[in-house]
Amino acid sequence: MELFKNYPVDSRVWDEMYSQDSKVREQYQHVYDFLLQISSDELSKKEELARRLFMSQGITFTVYSSGEGIEKIFPFDIIPRIITAAEWSLVERGIKQRLNALNLFLKDVYHEQFILKDGVVPAELVYSCPHFLREMQGVNVPHDIYVHIAGIDLIRDHDGTFYVLEDNLRTPSGVSYMIENREITKRIFPDLIPQNFVRPVTQYPTILHRNLQELSPRKTSSPNVVLLTPGIYNSAYFEHTTLARLMGIELVEGRDLVVENHKVFMKTTAGLQQVDVIYRRVDDDFLDPLVFNPESTLGVSGLLSAYRKGNVAIVNSIGNGVADDKAIYVYVPDMIRYYLNEEPILKNVPTYRLEKPEEREEVLKNIHKMVVKKTNESGGYGMLMGNSASEEEITAYKKEIIKDPRQFIAQPIISLSSSPCYINGKAQPRRIDLRPFALCGPSGIEIVAGGLTRVALREGSLVVNSSQGGGSKDTWVLAK
Amino acid sequence: MLSRVADSLYWMSRYLERTDNILRILIMNHQSSQDNPEEFSWKPMLKIFSELDDDKIAAIEKNGRQVLHYMVVDKENPSSVFNMVSRSRENARAVQDNITKELWQSLNEFYHYVRDPQLEASLRTEDPVTVLDTLIRHCMVFYGVSDSTMFRGEGLCFMNLGKYLERVVQTASILEVKFKDKESELEMTNDTTFWKYLLMSISGYALYLKRYRSGFEARNVVDQVLFNVDFPHSVLYSLNQVHRQFGRLRSEHNTEGYARIDNLIGKIRSKIQYADVASVLRVGMHNYLTEINDDVNAIGSALNQYYFAYS
Repeated sequence: MELFKNYPVDSRVWDEMYSQDSKVREQYQHVYDFLLQISSDELSKKEELARRLFMSQGITFTVYSSGEGIEKIFPFDIIPRIITAAEWSLVERGIKQRLNALNLFLKDVYHEQFILKDGVVPAELVYSCPHFLREMQGVNVPHDIYVHIAGIDLIRDHDGTFYVLEDNLRTPSGVSYMIENREITKRIFPDLIPQNFVRPVTQYPTILHRNLQELSPRKTSSPNVVLLTPGIYNSAYFEHTTLARLMGIELVEGRDLVVENHKVFMKTTAGLQQVDVIYRRVDDDFLDPLVFNPESTLGVSGLLSAYRKGNVAIVNSIGNGVADDKAIYVYVPDMIRYYLNEEPILKNVPTYRLEKPEEREEVLKNIHKMVVKKTNESGGYGMLMGNSASEEEITAYKKEIIKDPRQFIAQPIISLSSSPCYINGKAQPRRIDLRPFALCGPSGIEIVAGGLTRVALREGSLVVNSSQGGGSKDTWVLAK
Repeated sequence: MLSRVADSLYWMSRYLERTDNILRILIMNHQSSQDNPEEFSWKPMLKIFSELDDDKIAAIEKNGRQVLHYMVVDKENPSSVFNMVSRSRENARAVQDNITKELWQSLNEFYHYVRDPQLEASLRTEDPVTVLDTLIRHCMVFYGVSDSTMFRGEGLCFMNLGKYLERVVQTASILEVKFKDKESELEMTNDTTFWKYLLMSISGYALYLKRYRSGFEARNVVDQVLFNVDFPHSVLYSLNQVHRQFGRLRSEHNTEGYARIDNLIGKIRSKIQYADVASVLRVGMHNYLTEINDDVNAIGSALNQYYFAYS
């Protein structure tokens, strides 16, 4: 009964469950009624059951301290986040449109560069991006698809409008939590999902596997598809094994592979076996020590040459970082207009480019209302929240901005929508975002109805990244 | 199958088998210690199953609880149950897509169980046999799950190779506890309680009673533990399993490696198959056991060279 008592509704924040006049939104009504029937003790038991299931199934990441590995769970909140069919339709159309434009941009920028010649995107911005790889210039990739898997982050402003916060086009992670969170919800709240007509997410690995197979350069009935992981010390290792298992493909490390005569092989107990498609979860810089970081032991020597010769497909393609650079982000709406002749369906967060003097002045003056981000960092690193940072931090950032403005962008602080979370026996609002996973294959773009909802578990915090104390929720998209 | 995966499956299984044996040896020693508190010492067991030097052994050899703590939960002891289960699970973690989800989960639960501080407390205060039995049960669950869920393929062969090669080594080591310091004085070691617990620890007591009706004779115990082809913890049984499992790996690839290892397995197997207690005594028990150990190591290195090499 007490669960939602005194739940604060803040007029400056869009709450997913409560409308501004404190009414429960229709899509939440069933879950709301259901939760009210459960005692706080029982809910805490369910929370504990969820924790145990994560632990015993090894849905964990390992933190190494003083030579010993400690298993950690990515915190899970038991109250689902619910998206209506109408909201989802907008998100789906918006992401497809955006991903189409981004793929066209990548092809263009690594070939003719019409968009630079037409002055739509400044050439100096592209050439100064460390993720723009000259090694990819003129390379034809299968089906002209660069981004096969995108994890585009969305947030909602105070009026509920969706904004794109960033485009993750390199090796976006978190999809295993989309799948596992749903499995856990099935266990802790049996029957609740069918009662609410929630669309399933289990088909994700099947679609991905089909797409991967279709990319095989060798025309064979059973191409050899592998998932390349940095290894068990990587914090996303659980995700790598889950995806490999769900697709029935081999999970390999760099040391399992070897390139011979521009072909990639894996070392097996029966000798070398050719590899056709690599779904890699290793960053560009570590992929091939002959071309990129020579210190890397995670990659495979000669991989890029095999890729350039078209003997192996690599997913996502190499050099995508130029398209999800935070300074290039500013131009994505223009790309949509330029390549597709359409108006963007999803908005960008207004963004200041700090190498422009007048915009820089504006930001430095109002830095307390801004979030400043490094253009090439992700995962919540290299970020300054102007409203909560100390004066020293701000001064240090200002100095760095003036020294190298290309490294930074600034955005007004967007409030992020809130959603009820079960914390200390009560429902409390916490800020959330949404990362749907879009799959782009030769037959088009598909987005599984769901995604990863990340939660800033600290009260008042706007940072949802797991490295900064974030958790996650099961994400429901309703069928009707 | 990836060479690295084969390697990890093999070691996952070896570490688990080693864990199982250590637990059994601890039970056996604990029970002996309850019968003969005056004469009993943990020293022979510690000399074989730990890396402690003589001084450190002398310091704890009369203190069962301390030994149990050291052998089960001590993180500093590289061969403690804690560390072996961790290593087994670390190997499993790297090949999760090659074992069934049920198998991974059973090992992962075992891992969390040995890490729970409650285990350390139980070892200090509760009946050690109960505590050790619970741990053994986790090993049994692992074996059961692997038997009832694992695909009958190459992966299971490598797991079984690891398991049975390790069992040969461990069974030989259990005998070594008694023979290490005595030069094959078989007749002098008619310490019946010891033999009884030894057999019980490897589930061979009932079989012994049925088969040898003449009471406890060291000679007969050795016969059963080394040569009985139907006793699942005997050296010969384990080697027959190694032979059978390895035979399933024969293929048109890697013929050189296959021939080499098949030859090594054949040699050690016939060495046991055509021996008896009398011939063992002629070379000396300790020498004989050392030879078995060396032969198994040679098979291990050859597997490494021909099947697991990937770097």
